[in-house]
Parts: sequence; C-alpha cells; structure tokens
Amino acid sequence: MTCKPAAASSAGRRARRRRVKRGLAQGGAAVLLLAVLAPVLWLMLMSFRPSGATLAATLAFTPTLANYRALAGGGFPASFANSLMASTGSTVLSLLIGVPAAYALARHRFRASGRIAMWILVTRMAPPVAFTIPFFLVFSDLGLIDTIPGLIVVYLTFNLALVIWTMRGFFASIPAALEEAAWIDGAGVWTTFRRIALPLAAPGVAATGILCFIMSWNDFFFALILTRTNAMTAPVAIVNFMQYAGWEWGKIAAAGVLVLLPVLAFTFFVRSYLVSGGMAGGLKE
Amino acid sequence: MAAGSTAWSIEQRRAFTIGLVPALAVLTAVTLGPAIYLVVISLTPLTPIHPGSGLDFSTPFANYRQALFEGSFDHSVWLQCELSTITVGLQTLLGVAVALLLNSESRFMDAVRTGFLVPMVLPPIVVAIIWKILYTPDVSPVYAMLGAFGLRPGALITSPVWALPAIALADTWEWFPFTMLMVLAALRMMPNEPIEAARIDGASAWQMFWYVRLPFIRPALTVAVLFRLIDSIKAFPLIYVLTNGGPGQVTEVTNYYAFIQTFNFAYWGYGAAIATLMVAGVFALSLLLARLGAVAPDDV
Repeated sequence: MTCKPAAASSAGRRARRRRVKRGLAQGGAAVLLLAVLAPVLWLMLMSFRPSGATLAATLAFTPTLANYRALAGGGFPASFANSLMASTGSTVLSLLIGVPAAYALARHRFRASGRIAMWILVTRMAPPVAFTIPFFLVFSDLGLIDTIPGLIVVYLTFNLALVIWTMRGFFASIPAALEEAAWIDGAGVWTTFRRIALPLAAPGVAATGILCFIMSWNDFFFALILTRTNAMTAPVAIVNFMQYAGWEWGKIAAAGVLVLLPVLAFTFFVRSYLVSGGMAGGLKE
Repeated sequence: MAAGSTAWSIEQRRAFTIGLVPALAVLTAVTLGPAIYLVVISLTPLTPIHPGSGLDFSTPFANYRQALFEGSFDHSVWLQCELSTITVGLQTLLGVAVALLLNSESRFMDAVRTGFLVPMVLPPIVVAIIWKILYTPDVSPVYAMLGAFGLRPGALITSPVWALPAIALADTWEWFPFTMLMVLAALRMMPNEPIEAARIDGASAWQMFWYVRLPFIRPALTVAVLFRLIDSIKAFPLIYVLTNGGPGQVTEVTNYYAFIQTFNFAYWGYGAAIATLMVAGVFALSLLLARLGAVAPDDV
C-alpha cells in the first residue's frame, strides 16, 4: 500500500530521466552534425559572395550569381559535360556487362568463385597510380589520351568490380524459388533472368548504378593524368582555377558547389542502402 | 531421368558461363593486363627521355634496389605509416563515438545519420577545396575568428611540423562517417537481451560499452579499420591541393611519391616499381581482410 505511490513516482522519474537523456542525445547529435557540415555550408556561402567581399569573414553580404555567371562564360560547362558523359557511359557499360555476371555468380557455384571474389577485392583496393602508369602508356599508343572513351574504359577498373560485387549480394538476397520453378517449366536461364530476377532486383540495379556514377563523377586522379583539354572533367577544371588564373576563390567555390550538387542529390536516393552499411564499402555483402 | 537432369545441368552451367565470361574478359583487360604490364615496366629503366629504355631488361631489379636502399622511398613509407596511423586512429574513435550517440530508433536520428554521410560522399576534390579554404589565412573563417580574438597563428599547411597533421585532420573529417556507418550497422543487429541483462545488473555506461557492445561490434570494426587503412594509402586529392607533397617532402607519402617520380620526373620504371610494391602491400592487407571478413558474424 505504502510502496505503490513510491514505485510509481520512481518509474515516472526513470521515464523522465530517459526522456531527458534522449533529448540530450538528439541535441548533441544536431549540434555535432551542424559542426561537421559547417565547412560545406561555408563553401556554398562563398560561392554567392561578390568578388570583393570574398575575403571578409562576415555573413553580411548581398548574394550574387556573378561567380556562377563567370563560370558559364568559360570552359567549365564543357568540362561539366565531359564529366557527365564519362560517368554515364562507364555506369551503363559496367551495368550491361556486370549485372549478368553477378547473377551467374549468385545462382551458380563456379569452381573459381572464391578466386574471382579475391580478384575483385584486390581490384577495389589497388592504388590508382598502379593502373595509371600502364594505362597512360597504352593510351598514348592507341590515341586514347584526352578522350571520353578512354576515361570510360579506365572507370571500368573500379565500376565493374563494384557492380559484380554489390549485385551479387542483391541477387543472393532474392529467393531463388520463383526462378527454379521457371527453369522446371523449361525456361532458359537468361529468359528467367530477364523476366523474373531482373525486375525483382531493379532497385538494387538503380542503387548500384548511382554508386557507379558517383564513383566516376568523383574521380580526380585518373582524369588529372589521362586528360588534357578536350576531355578534361569538372574536378580537374576546378584545380586549374587555382593554378593559372591566380586564386579565384569565388569561382572555385561556385565550381565546387556545382560539382557536389549531383552527388548530394543522388546520395539522397541511395541513403537507405548506405545507412544499412551493406554498400558502404562498395564491397560488403 | 538422371541422364536428362545431367544434360539439363550441363546446359545450365553453359548458360551461366556465357553470362560470366564477358565480365571476366573485360576485367582481365582492364585490371589483370595492366597489372602484368606494370610489373614488366618496373623491371626496366623506362623514361621517355631515352628511347628504347622500355625494352632494356639488363638490370631488372635496379628500380627495386634503388627503392629499398636509397632512403626516399623509406621516408615516404614512414610518412605513410604516420599519416595512416593518425587518420585511421582518429576515424575509429570518432566513428564509434558518433555511432553510439546516433544509435537510437527515431525519425530525427535517421535524418541526422543521412546528414553525416555528406563528407564521405562529397567529391574528394571538393573536400580538398573546402579544407584549402579553411587552412588559407586570407579566406578562412577559422583564421578570421581567431583573428578577432587577437590570435594570428601561422598557416598549418606550409609548416613542416603541422602540414601532415593538417592533412590527417581533413582526412578524418572526410572518412569518419564510414566507420560510423559500419559500427551503426553492427549495433543495429545486436540482440537486446545482453543489454537488458547488463542494465539490470547496474552496468555503467562505460561498462556497457566496453563489456557488452564493443565485443559485439569488434568484427565489423576490424573490417572497417582495415578498409580505411587500405584506402588511406590512396589519399591523393587532399595532398595534391593542400600541400603538393611539401613543404619540402614532409607530406610526400608513398602514393604521392610514386605520382611525382612517374608523372613529374618521368621515371616510369622507378614509379612502376614503387606502385608494384604498393599493390603487393595492399594484396597482403586484402588477404587479411578476406580472412577476417569470413569470420565476421554479419558477413555469413
């Protein structure tokens, strides 16, 4: 009788303490996130500053599109288009070649499966400089230096491995029962793949394609070495603002914002796959 | 029936092989072929200045001897170890701490988690620009704020002492979300019973982490650390934009050293030898990763 209200109030206290703790964790997380994102926000702010005010660290300025307009007049749009073409081309090609291979690896035990997995892992891990040296020499002979097809081929080095690895995981997570039923009814392996497995794995294909696009779009090293002027991609173009035209901070910031926007947009679509950790390494099942 | 099913399984194997072969052929052409060519180049003194130097196999191990006994390669490896230790260490600590903070089910925390992905998915060149801005006293909001308090510290990235830690800090910012994601994914799969049991036993927050949660996330954490370790060897845009290997050679880590020797000084053979040594190191780490990955509970 006497202990009942006490128990209730202690339970109430515990619940309140849990609520306070949760509030603290959420507040802390929000503050931390803001601190982590502050440098990105600063870049965005900088891109809207008039050129005279770029150096001032105050937040009081009249936003202007002058930096973006200056970019539109130069060679930057062409570089941006190059980035788009190389990334899209490599993504499409990797999906076309890689998705059937991933399906085969997921549904059939090849004797070499373990070795193929190791090969793909090492490909994912190898330093790009190891690829650029032979690619530079061979491309020089083939006339592929400073061309979009050349970049597309180079991006296959990481994209194909990414597609095979992640799509194998997606196919493996789809129960094979429907496909087995189709096989028993006499449907061929690739008809079954097209009619049953591929539609079921469509979200996975989309997510993998987006990751491929981001990886190619983000590339700096290969494009720096294997392109000059014709096929120069947007990330390399930004660096050129730093070296030749002095330090045009406003233009650099505006170009940076333009390069990061597609990536942010795409990341938003695949965030659930990334947050689940499954695709974070581009490689874990 | 048995004969029919064998014929059928042969047919199936053939069909699957047809799907696999194009990918393996392309993968061979773009990865295995270049890798073999890289090793071949590393056995020659190839440089565009001397025509025919690419076919000179008279002293096949000269590049490797030079790398291992002349000091600058050792120096770069040492720097690499220093940079990797600092960045991977900080990323692990920060990644685990933030994962623990965010580890609760709510819409709000889901949104925050997505926000933390941003540094990791940003184009590395944009990350480099952002930190170039933060580290350049003329345009940096940080320097401006310090200036308002009368503090005028020197530029970090031009200081022989602080250039490497400055790069490590930027790299940590870029990649701690990766460790955070891996740890969060592991924490989510953790059963509730041990946590409840420890709570009833009156475990403190620290005990809860050290004796209950950490043992559970350890396999995922090991995989994340190895991934980051291998990737930290490849860090390029940050160094290219922030310090260009300098001042002097204090930030010329192995990857950057290989880049400068090959593409600035045109010592193709020597650069290829360094790259070959790097691939060998990465291969060893990948073997370790594959072995550990096989025993991680979330990998089965």
